[in-house]
Amino acid sequence: MLLVPSCWTLGERVTVSLSLSLSLSQSLRALARARILYKERNPNSPIQKKKKMPFISKIERQSDYHLFPSTTPIVIDNGASYFRIGWAGEAEPRVIFRNIVQRPRHKATGETVTIVGDHDPALLRYFDCTRSGPRSAFDSNVVYQFEIMEYILDFAFDRLGANGSRIDHPVLITECVCNPVQSRSKMAELLFETYGVPSVAFGVDAAFSYKYNQQLGVCAKDGLALCPGFTTTHVIPFIDGEPVYKGSCRTNIGGYHITDYLKQLLSLKYPQHMARFTWEKVEDLKMEHCYIAQDYFSEVRLFQKGDKEAEDKTRCWQLPWIPPPTEEPPSEEEIARKAAIKERQGQRLREMAEAKRSSRINELENELHGLEFLLQQLEHVEEHNIPSFLSETGYVSKQEIESAVQKVTQSLRKAKGEPKGDQAEAEEKTDPATNERFPLINIPDNMLTPEQLKEKRRQLFLKTTSEGRQRAKQKRFESELERERKNQQDEEKRLENPELYLEQLRAKYKDLSEKVEQRKRLKTNGNHTNGNNFSGGVGRGERLNAAQRERMRLLTTAAFDRGKGEDTFGARDEDWQLYKLMSKDNDDDDEGLDQDEAEMARLSSRLQEIDPTFVPKLEIVTSQPIEVPRLRPLTKEDFQILLGVERFRCPEILFRPNWIAVDQAGLDEMTGISIRRLSPVGQEVEERLTNSIFITGGSCLFPGMSKRLVAGIRMIRPCGSPIRVVKASDPVLDAWRGAAAYATAPQFLTQTFSRTDYYEKGEDWLRRYQLRYTL
Amino acid sequence: MELDVVKAELVLPTHLSFKQVQMYEKYPKGQSRGRHWKHLKQILQAENYQNFPPDEPTYVNIESPPSMHPCKKICDITGYEAPYYDPRTNLRYANADVFKLVRSLPNEYVQRYLALRNAAVVLK
Repeated sequence: MLLVPSCWTLGERVTVSLSLSLSLSQSLRALARARILYKERNPNSPIQKKKKMPFISKIERQSDYHLFPSTTPIVIDNGASYFRIGWAGEAEPRVIFRNIVQRPRHKATGETVTIVGDHDPALLRYFDCTRSGPRSAFDSNVVYQFEIMEYILDFAFDRLGANGSRIDHPVLITECVCNPVQSRSKMAELLFETYGVPSVAFGVDAAFSYKYNQQLGVCAKDGLALCPGFTTTHVIPFIDGEPVYKGSCRTNIGGYHITDYLKQLLSLKYPQHMARFTWEKVEDLKMEHCYIAQDYFSEVRLFQKGDKEAEDKTRCWQLPWIPPPTEEPPSEEEIARKAAIKERQGQRLREMAEAKRSSRINELENELHGLEFLLQQLEHVEEHNIPSFLSETGYVSKQEIESAVQKVTQSLRKAKGEPKGDQAEAEEKTDPATNERFPLINIPDNMLTPEQLKEKRRQLFLKTTSEGRQRAKQKRFESELERERKNQQDEEKRLENPELYLEQLRAKYKDLSEKVEQRKRLKTNGNHTNGNNFSGGVGRGERLNAAQRERMRLLTTAAFDRGKGEDTFGARDEDWQLYKLMSKDNDDDDEGLDQDEAEMARLSSRLQEIDPTFVPKLEIVTSQPIEVPRLRPLTKEDFQILLGVERFRCPEILFRPNWIAVDQAGLDEMTGISIRRLSPVGQEVEERLTNSIFITGGSCLFPGMSKRLVAGIRMIRPCGSPIRVVKASDPVLDAWRGAAAYATAPQFLTQTFSRTDYYEKGEDWLRRYQLRYTL
Repeated sequence: MELDVVKAELVLPTHLSFKQVQMYEKYPKGQSRGRHWKHLKQILQAENYQNFPPDEPTYVNIESPPSMHPCKKICDITGYEAPYYDPRTNLRYANADVFKLVRSLPNEYVQRYLALRNAAVVLK
């Protein structure tokens, strides 16, 4: 029954209430998850299709705090991944959340607030989370940051419903194996001082889990508990129901490392999708898809061969991707319609041009007529009446009218006989024009006045320039013809033997590209090394190109030619020409490169036209492990993430920590070490221990763990000894359940210590304090 | 504070009734907080484990020794078995195709692959 807090009213936003009533984490995952496709074709494979998500956060505020008497202990499982708190004697913890704290700044008010646990990222948009990443109170599996621990306890007690003036219940809290006394004492202090807890007990979570399952009959009184956790993995032998810490063993590998490894592998393999691989997402992937292979190397060989089995085992994650709208090849009618439209447009334009031309012709003709009429009239008019007569029309003299007539006739002729005579006319015009323009050139010097001489010089200059221009035009024309001819030849060659032609082109392209690349490499090498020093100061051993060598030579000759003691380098002006030479060398190099590049571009465009499979070589500099030829449009496959070998490579580090450079023993070896560490107990006891190997902890949920352990342990135990591996009934919650069951025992209170005890007995006593698990 | 943030009770309240000493009293604003927490290494050092009898289990005692099994090498990039390694980049590779890939990687990726194995070049 949910007692809704009074601040809510009906009709509030459904999303918020929904997310709180289910569980925030679940909705979070549902919102954030992309569609996961399973290419699983083998229905009988041991890997289930939909695995139940084992970790769910529950953070509703409990309302029945006041119903519990002061004697009921509060049970806390303080783990590096999740924090679980609840009442003793119950089957499930009341509040579960991730053991992290964030302190972002609220964007509007600017105050720093504290947020505990993982929350719906949509709500976090009001906060500036850039400078506050999630922080954990743990370093490996030991609590060291008690400020964060306090925030977490605050939140936990608050959600449990605490509302008195102090927490008036005994507290049973879990810790790591052989917790350093400083951490223990600080924790005790925190609980006693800040929360007013009457008594506290510390226990090891793996031991509680073992005891709980022992009562369930899953494991025997003597056995080994293997606990792969979030940051560490422990192996603890149990003899007579009590953990023997002398024989215990710890490796610093856990679920955190597996997730981290997977995240990095995926980021390196798919750098373009790196933003998608958030910690939470990768953890989800790990929980859903990772498994432990029975024998890593035979499994990997399957993948290496590219077997069908391997393909079955590869999971494919399709990221959301919208294909760009494909343009269908235009159908017949489309083409026809477009052609008709174009035709019509062309027609319209042509008509408009026609109309304009004809109107212009009309205008000109009219003008011509008018002018001729005027001329005729002029002839009739007498001399002295001309100016007055003409003043009406706007022309001043007869010549003007005549020149106007000429102009109009010319333009009329042009408008009428447009394309044909134009070029010829233009060219004709230039020649007589030049001859007209430069009348003075042909007249020898001595016959001209000084002004005319100046005039002549100017005309000479103009003539030479115009001639030069003509020559250039001619040359261009010729080169055009030449190129046309070459292209034609090319085409013929191509048509007669396409393959050979293609080969030649490709070879040429490759040569050119190599040359360009080499030049570039040399240049960048030279430039990099020259980056810090001023030009010319190159260290020993770098390859210099011709320009740099030349520069060096110049510098050394210039510098050392003077002779000792006297450096008169700058005295003469010619010395500075040195720098001009040096910089010119540089330029030449660039020019050569540009030419080659232009050639390459031309070749590549040519190749692209005729060869469908050609992919031009891109600029070298930023290449990625996966070369995506960018000219190819992005397809669906680019947005797929394949998990093949990574599926079993990542959990394998539990057994081979060396792959992460953690120089410690793996899980199977640890059992051997643990048994060895127990003082010589005799074969019988050892057999009893291996007969009941109990695995618990979040990271033991990988499929295939049990089989692998059996195989691994069999390798190190004498032949024929019994090996039985049992999994906890609920590896994640059993630690808390065990602790809750333990706390209900009547003798529990004898195992706790109170505040007075803590202060009287001192640190040494606290160091030796150990819980007795069999009550 | 926005409405839905308040509704979701996202933020930890500053004053809690069951606490004897509130957070803002313990860690007043403006003072640098939390820099003085000892890290695990310092904690362990301060424990002075050498003063106590050596067969008593302590946090340091129960740590696993290095593995006795010979370390099997896998290719850094693909995960296959890798008998070879590239002397220039120090990456392990499985066959010639992977080698081509290895040689074409820019330095950044090489270092990141090596960092997985803690073999990256660290410049101090």
